[in-house]
Amino acid sequence: MTVLLRRAFAALAIFSVLLLGAAAARADQGADADDGMKFLRGLADQALALVNAKDIGDADRAEKFRGLFVASFDIPEIGRFVLGRHWKSASATQQRDFLKAFEDFTVLTWSTRFKDYSGVSFEVDGAAPADDGYWLVDSRILRKAGDPLPLGWRIHRVDGHWRITDILIEGVSMALTQRQDFASAMQANGGKIDDLLSAMHKKIDELRAGK
Amino acid sequence: MRGLLGWGIAVAAAVLVGCATPPPASDPDALADFKAANDPLEPMNRAIFDFNSGLDTVFLRPLAQAYRAAVPQFGRDRVSDFMSNLNSPVQFADDVLQGNMSLAGKTLERFALNSSFGVLGIMDVAKPMGIPPHDSDFGETLGVWGVPQGPYLVLPFFGPSNPRDAIGLGADFVADPLGIYLTNRHMKWLNWTRFGVDAVSQREMYLDFLDDVQRTSLDYYATMRSLYRQRRDALVNAGKHDVEAVRNPGHFDYDTSQ
Repeated sequence: MTVLLRRAFAALAIFSVLLLGAAAARADQGADADDGMKFLRGLADQALALVNAKDIGDADRAEKFRGLFVASFDIPEIGRFVLGRHWKSASATQQRDFLKAFEDFTVLTWSTRFKDYSGVSFEVDGAAPADDGYWLVDSRILRKAGDPLPLGWRIHRVDGHWRITDILIEGVSMALTQRQDFASAMQANGGKIDDLLSAMHKKIDELRAGK
Repeated sequence: MRGLLGWGIAVAAAVLVGCATPPPASDPDALADFKAANDPLEPMNRAIFDFNSGLDTVFLRPLAQAYRAAVPQFGRDRVSDFMSNLNSPVQFADDVLQGNMSLAGKTLERFALNSSFGVLGIMDVAKPMGIPPHDSDFGETLGVWGVPQGPYLVLPFFGPSNPRDAIGLGADFVADPLGIYLTNRHMKWLNWTRFGVDAVSQREMYLDFLDDVQRTSLDYYATMRSLYRQRRDALVNAGKHDVEAVRNPGHFDYDTSQ
């Protein structure tokens, strides 16, 4: 065998290995996409069952909602993103207090929104990989009246479990909106985390009283 | 003319008084936040925002609530369908200017169907036929042409905007064939009535949303600013057929570990 031919074979071998690898990766990605969509479908089923359940009390429903919410959203990551550059300068205690308040704040925000969702249905349309192991899942909420509401979900795996890191409504990121809201509230309070925390607690009390 | 001059001076004064002080260069993080918000006229904008909110609380919001209480959903849909049909000629022009011939065709088809079978536009018959409505305005057109939003502006009465969209608002108003027709026919009042009805109809549609935003934000002003700017970017991306940018606006591209 000539050197040239040997080289050609070697190149071919390498090429086919690469090709197989790419195919495997693609299959892997396909499985991941299906898995991510399954996660959101399952979550929607549970959440809608909770909204439509008639035989449970409000307190029980709120408790179950919180459990579902905390298990499906990556609250530490969203919280870090929302606090932005102030996260680093916060002490460990402040970080812990912030994440606790942030969880209460977010759960209350969404549980009140969620009350309007009785009688809706949810459809997952597709998933595409974003950067760094994140996935974007497209979905629609179908309401009895009005047009379907397109919702995008940014999800990733944490210790093998899918977690939501952002919701996109017609190109508008909820996490970014909240980050800019908090940055401004923080600035108004002299850039101090403790003042932001008390503003958050005040809001949490208002939201609790309002329901 | 004198009135115009007076306005000019008032605006110039407001701009001078209304300038926000940027953070010092020694605080690069704060400076980055300041630039990201792109709101150098924040004090003035907040004052106008408060003015608008006050007006909304005593005037527009109660009107929208009364409208919701008095007119059932079916009737309100007829009003909003009629109003958006009246806007079709301007929308068609913007679709064409954006070079989006397929959307322009859809706008034309919708206008023809809704104005005839839809009884002068009160029934959006095109939607169930698979031609849904879409948004387009001259601010978006300028965006598609590459004009950036520029600094955030809150306009008296009109609310969140920026120089680009403010010019767009004016252009759409001036170029509106229906407005020109009514003005020439000495029926300006009818055009103003149309804008009044449109304002109440739109405010009704946003009742729950705006209540929710106010209820769940720490800083209502900053939240509205963020929502407005993101939404306008998304509309321009959609106008540019940049589907990927609409799906994933890349808000997480900047360092989240900080």
